[in-house]
Amino acid sequence: MNKRNQTISRRKLLKGMGIGAGALALAACAVPQATQAPAAPASGEPTAAPAPTTAPASSGPVEIIYWGFSGGLGKVEEQLINMWNEKQSEVKVTPQVQGNYEETAQKLTAALAAQQGPDMVLLSDVWWFKFYRAKALMPLNDLLKEQQIDTTDFVESLWNEGVRKGVQYWVPFARSTPIFYYNADMLEAAGLPVRGPETWDEMREWAPKLVKKEGDTMKVAAFAHPGAASYVAWLFQCVIRQFGGRYSDQDFNIKLTESDSIRAGQFYQDTVNKEGWAIASKDVTKDFVTGLAATAMLSTAALAGVLREAQFKVGTAFLPKEKFFNCCTGGSGLAILATTPMEKARAAMKYIDYATGNEGGAFWPQNTGYMPVRKSTAKSESYQKFFEQVPQARTAVEQLPLTEAQDAARVFIPGGDQIIGKGLERILISNEPVEKVFTEVKATLEQEAEPVKRDLAALG
Amino acid sequence: MFSRWLRIARRDWRDWLTFLAFVGPNLSLFAIFTYYPMVQNSVLALSDYNLITRSGPFVGLRNFETVFGSSQFGKIIVNTFVFTTVSVVLLIVLGLLIALLLNQNLRGRNAARSILFSPTILAGAAIAIVWIYIFDPRFGFIYTILKPLGIPAPKWLTDPAWAMPAIIIVYVWKNLGYATVIFIAGLQAIPRELYEAARVDGARAWERFWYVTLPGLSPVVFFLTVTTILSSFQAFDIINVMTEGGPVNATNTLIFHLYELFFQVSSPSRAAVVANLLFVLMLIVTALQVRYLERRVNYA
Amino acid sequence: MRDVSLSTRRYTTQESLLGHRFWRHMQRALGYLGMFAVVLIIGIPVAWVLSGALKTNREIFSTTPQLLPANPNLDNFVKAWQAAPFDRFYMNSFITTLFGAGAEIIMAITTAYALVFVRFPKRDWVFFLLLVALMVPDEVVLVPNYLTIAGWKMVNTYPGIILPGASIAFGTFLLRQYFRTIPLDLIDAARVDGAGHLRTLWHVVLPVAAPAVATTALLSITAKWGEYIWPLLITTTEDMRTLPVGISRLLDQEGNTEWGVVMAGTLFVTVPVMLIFLYAQRFVVDGIAAGAVKG
Repeated sequence: MNKRNQTISRRKLLKGMGIGAGALALAACAVPQATQAPAAPASGEPTAAPAPTTAPASSGPVEIIYWGFSGGLGKVEEQLINMWNEKQSEVKVTPQVQGNYEETAQKLTAALAAQQGPDMVLLSDVWWFKFYRAKALMPLNDLLKEQQIDTTDFVESLWNEGVRKGVQYWVPFARSTPIFYYNADMLEAAGLPVRGPETWDEMREWAPKLVKKEGDTMKVAAFAHPGAASYVAWLFQCVIRQFGGRYSDQDFNIKLTESDSIRAGQFYQDTVNKEGWAIASKDVTKDFVTGLAATAMLSTAALAGVLREAQFKVGTAFLPKEKFFNCCTGGSGLAILATTPMEKARAAMKYIDYATGNEGGAFWPQNTGYMPVRKSTAKSESYQKFFEQVPQARTAVEQLPLTEAQDAARVFIPGGDQIIGKGLERILISNEPVEKVFTEVKATLEQEAEPVKRDLAALG
Repeated sequence: MFSRWLRIARRDWRDWLTFLAFVGPNLSLFAIFTYYPMVQNSVLALSDYNLITRSGPFVGLRNFETVFGSSQFGKIIVNTFVFTTVSVVLLIVLGLLIALLLNQNLRGRNAARSILFSPTILAGAAIAIVWIYIFDPRFGFIYTILKPLGIPAPKWLTDPAWAMPAIIIVYVWKNLGYATVIFIAGLQAIPRELYEAARVDGARAWERFWYVTLPGLSPVVFFLTVTTILSSFQAFDIINVMTEGGPVNATNTLIFHLYELFFQVSSPSRAAVVANLLFVLMLIVTALQVRYLERRVNYA
Repeated sequence: MRDVSLSTRRYTTQESLLGHRFWRHMQRALGYLGMFAVVLIIGIPVAWVLSGALKTNREIFSTTPQLLPANPNLDNFVKAWQAAPFDRFYMNSFITTLFGAGAEIIMAITTAYALVFVRFPKRDWVFFLLLVALMVPDEVVLVPNYLTIAGWKMVNTYPGIILPGASIAFGTFLLRQYFRTIPLDLIDAARVDGAGHLRTLWHVVLPVAAPAVATTALLSITAKWGEYIWPLLITTTEDMRTLPVGISRLLDQEGNTEWGVVMAGTLFVTVPVMLIFLYAQRFVVDGIAAGAVKG
């Protein structure tokens, strides 16, 4: 009986192992899978080959490998790219999804280290600079001129963020700003005016009416703060400037310990602790959409999703003021890699023109919530019609002229966003004294800024 | 000495060849894809390396100073040890108990084992969304259970005091199936006769467990102790999807810090410092186990 | 083996009629209770993923979540399947797992066997060297291996995905532990009969260690199937990607992810392994080891 058991199980094991036995052999001599044409440049040959003189028009479109958005946004981007590819036959953009902003940046780093990589890439506001420092991005001024792109049509604050020493490296594409979202139904029910608060002081008046408690715990908060990983440092950037402070100036002088900056931090801390009408949330978008937070600051790019998921009337407004009004930019832009051959670079620039122009550059924001990056796009007729359908989308566009580019400390210092974000977490969650935390954050930022300053000096 | 060695070689050369053939492929692959990067890593820690330009000056121990001197580093070390110790103890104790339970002849135990094993194969993103819901202090599952008892639910993932317990719970939940499956295989290997002999001798259940089961399981216990300690030192996935090291570094462990330094701060050199530290720690802990624990293992 | 003869306490026939059987039933009842409790505690989150896959995003986000979906439908599955080329992902996962786990299992068996039964100087040092491999975190080897594979021009290829992970340490370790419990007289008997190492391995060791081999195989397959970071890094185009990477394709940058679709996608990954697990259970069956060793 036992023997039979043995044989049967052995036979089955044999079967299993027979398959595996072929495994090693096959794996060893398996020919590298030659995938379809798009993969070829990225998977084998170095892309640094000098471009041929002219592309014979009969040999088909110039193909560009592009690393862009993933997920739902990726799907919309795919549509945009298909529209472009079908519209003309000179340039074919082939998107290859790599993941979110961080994952794309990581993949790009690895690919560049191996001297491979795409031709065009989407980089976020905190990542593009790293590649600029490493001289991985192509200067675009000549290409822009060749393509006759009117660079003055771009919104200044968005455009200038990608300019270093008069040369453009990073063209705005999926740009966003924070806007103030509010639950119109909740405001109405609380007897408050159904609009965004004009100032933070007004918000303070309103807040207690919006809070709903269950015993001692707050079930519904008036406002929700994200955590460091969800870019609280981006949102706070606007608030700290509204109070009159800043993170830093363009020369990396950290200004966190100035009195106005500390005032802003104290305000943030009070909202959660002393005044108790805000929470530090795991997922602000979700909390707002499910009605657990009456208001929130979120990126305008979340608008499409919020409108889709919320079961109440959603209102959007400018950010509240304090001493000043301030709103910062965010999002991502397009860059061409320095290793891209000129022919492909020109082709890429044609696509960039389309994607940011009045056609593609209108389709994209309307379907995502990002903002039109050119002034003429926002004024166009199709956009006016869009505003009628989705009035909430107006806010970001109207706020746009009032926006300011971000501080060097957040976008140019590697990890700057997280360093500040973690400091804010200490203030919001651990209730640590604001001055102490900001002093420590300042010290860390200054330390991390050193290599950046060195590189910039070396870049001349 | 040499002549003795020669004698052994002459006798055993076939065995030596067999050994190389059997072990060679495995070790070669390790050499290329594991040992070599680790060596590279050690060198990396001593320079200021830029991945894209593939260059960097030698800076000696400066990276070590920066990493060890950072204000969060103490917390990170403490977190790592707390996480590892508690997780491993829970995994082994609970794993054994459940294995004993599911080893009995109960109907439906195969299905039970499968369910137990399923968290192991779930992707991080799905685990995160489900557990974030379970932990939500306003309407989550735990809240629903505690509410009738009048106990306020802890804020779990947004509370620095509760974030680590939350992570440990999810980690143990995910890996319990693995420990149990291995324990079950180990229990199967203990010959029935030993139990019979013990029963005949009048040993009670507890004594049978202590004198037959445990010694019989000792090879597996040793294996699990070593591997779960090593795995928990390197447990990254859960932390990344649930708390990303927060709030306020409450769940920042060495492995997460490594990731932070490499991918967020973009400093491969500093990440290498942490990797080296991790490696040395694991080396010491494992060496101690091999030396002192293995001699108590009863291989029959 | 420890001495198992202990106290000479015996049960009287009287006692055994009442106490013995009662306790046995009690034991069974407790066993079922325990099993039920464990399944519940471990299984509830898993059930959530299952039900989440059948819900709409709104339901998942609701503040009064129910376990059972209101209108269970397969929309999410359809959406997930269409969101990315999952059929291609399945094939890629199948190939990389088959070859990757296959190589792992073979090497684990041979390495463990050699570490226990084949003479070699300083054999234990080799074992420790193997353990060292377990101490190198994935994150450390990611980029160097990428550079190595890129240097061999194997980025975005099957070998590129498979090779770096093909070596195996924990499975080898597990099998070594198991093999060491095999009584040497069994081995000696085979060697005396003139069997070389391969035959001994095949005819003697493997059948006896079937539960352990099956377990190792199962764990190896599970790990390979669920691998995420390396395939993500080493593949650049969709048509080479594996299932777990495909799942992340469903996640969104600005937080507007449709979680129901993600959970449906996760099930695409999980279900095949669950089926394999259910199937493999019968190898980890009572008595194979026991009977074979002593019988």
